[in-house]
Amino acid sequence: MSVRPFGDRAFLIELEQRIDLPIIDTARSIADEWERRGLGDTIPAYASVVLEFDPARTSWKDAAVVAEALAAEPPGATAAAAGRLIEIPTIYDGPDLAETAARSGLAVPELVALHSGREYRAFFLGFMPGLAYCGMLDPQIDAPRLAAPRARVPAGTVAVANGQTIVYPVDSPGGWRLIGRTELKTFDPAREPAALIRAGDRLRFVSR
Amino acid sequence: MMRIATPGLRATIQDRGRFGHARAGIPPAGPADPVAFAAALDLAGCAPDDAAIEIIGLPFTFRCDDRRVVAATGRDVRLRTRGPVPGWTSVLARPGEEVIVEGSSRTRFAYVAVSGGPALPRVLGSRATYLAAALGPMPRPLAAGDELPLGPSDAGVEAAGRHIRPPEYGGVARAIAGPHDARFADESVARFFSVTFTVLPESDRMGLRLAGAPLPGPTDDLLTCGIVAGAVQVPRGGAPIVLLADHQTTGGYPIIATVIRDDLGIVAQAAAGEYLRFDRVTPGGPYRSA
Repeated sequence: MSVRPFGDRAFLIELEQRIDLPIIDTARSIADEWERRGLGDTIPAYASVVLEFDPARTSWKDAAVVAEALAAEPPGATAAAAGRLIEIPTIYDGPDLAETAARSGLAVPELVALHSGREYRAFFLGFMPGLAYCGMLDPQIDAPRLAAPRARVPAGTVAVANGQTIVYPVDSPGGWRLIGRTELKTFDPAREPAALIRAGDRLRFVSR
Repeated sequence: MMRIATPGLRATIQDRGRFGHARAGIPPAGPADPVAFAAALDLAGCAPDDAAIEIIGLPFTFRCDDRRVVAATGRDVRLRTRGPVPGWTSVLARPGEEVIVEGSSRTRFAYVAVSGGPALPRVLGSRATYLAAALGPMPRPLAAGDELPLGPSDAGVEAAGRHIRPPEYGGVARAIAGPHDARFADESVARFFSVTFTVLPESDRMGLRLAGAPLPGPTDDLLTCGIVAGAVQVPRGGAPIVLLADHQTTGGYPIIATVIRDDLGIVAQAAAGEYLRFDRVTPGGPYRSA
C-alpha cells in the first residue's frame, strides 16, 4: 500500500496490483469516505483511488493526513455497496462473436450461454463517460484485446476482453471483442444520473 | 445576443470544468489553459463559474447587440475593435461593433469572455463542452451565424482598460514527481527533469505529445488507475504525453510526473516544434522554480 502525491491537488492510494473484489470494494470505500467529508472528487479503480482536493480550501498537509489515515485503515465496504441488479437485454450478433467462440473452442450458442449465464460486478467506471468495467468472464472465454483497435465502435455494443465485459456507452474507438449489442442507453447526459451503471452494481446479460 | 461571424478552426463553450462526475467516467473538459481562461472571465467582470469561449485557430470575429465588456487572453492573443487592444486587457465593445480576436503562429488556445457570459443551461452541472461524447449545452464547435444569448451585464466605462499580466509562456513547466516515479529507473526520472523535449504536432485538448530522450519505464503492466490533468504518461516506447482538459478519467500507462495546475497553460500553449522542459518542485509547495 502506498500514498503518493499526484500533482499539487491530488493523491493516489495504491492498495495492490491485482484484480480482486474485496480490494475493489476497499478502494471504493475510501473514495466514498473522502467525498463524504467533502474534500473533493475521487476516482476509484481496480486497486487504487485518486483523491482530489482544493488547495484553496484544504492544505496539502491536511489532505495528506486524511489520505494516509484512510489508506492505513480503510472504512470498509458498507451494506449500501451491495449494488442493484441491472439486466442488459442483448442481441448476440457482434462481428467478433464467431471468432471469439472458435478461439475459445466453443460453439457460438455455448459462448452466448456462458456470457449470459453469470452475474457480473461493475468494478468501476472510466475511460469514457458511463463505461463500466465488469467481470469476471467465465475463464473458458479466451478474449485477448484485438491487435488493431477499431476506429469506431457504436454505442450499445457489448464487448469482452481480458476476462471482463463492457457496454460501449458512446460511439468511440475500441480494442475489445464485439459480441453483441443492446438498445439500453448506458450513458445519457439528459438523464440523472447520466451513467446507467454504478460501481458495485450487479449485471446480467439477457439474450434476446 | 452574441453573434459569431468568423468561428476560427474550432471554438467551444467552456466553463472551469465539469466536476463531480469523474467516477462516472466523465472527463472534466473545461479550458486547456485554466490560467488564461480565469483571467478572461475576471477581466470581463464574470463570475469564476461563468462560461467563455475557447478558440483554436484564429481569427475569431463576433458582435454583441448591446454594450459589453470584452477580454481576450491566451498566448500572443490580442483584440481589434475600433483600434488594436492588447490581450489580457478589458475593453468596452459598443452595440453591434465588430470584435476580432487575433493571435500569432504560436497561439494554440485563445479565450474570449463577454460580460454577462453565455446564458446557456448547465449539462451535468457544467457548461463545458466535451466534443468526444457531445456533452454540454452547445455540444459542437461554434459556427458562423451562431447566436448566443448573454446574461445581464451592467457594463460601464470604468470596467474597461484593466490589465492582467500574462504568464511567461514557453520553455518550462513545474511538475511533481510521480505518482509512479518509483516504478521507473532513477536515471529515467532524473532524465525527465533535465532534458528538453520537443512538442509534436499531434497534440490536442486531450494531451500534449512530446519527443525526446526515451524514458525506459516498468516492464510489467500497470493496473488501470484514475488520472488528473497534468499527468505525464509514459507509454511503451517512452515518448511522454502530458494529459490536458479532455483527458480520459482512467489510464493504464505509468505516470512519471504531474504538472502543477498553475502551469497547465504553459504546457497546453506549447506549439508544435517548440521546446519544453520540466522543473521539479516539491509536493506541498510553495512551488518556486529551482
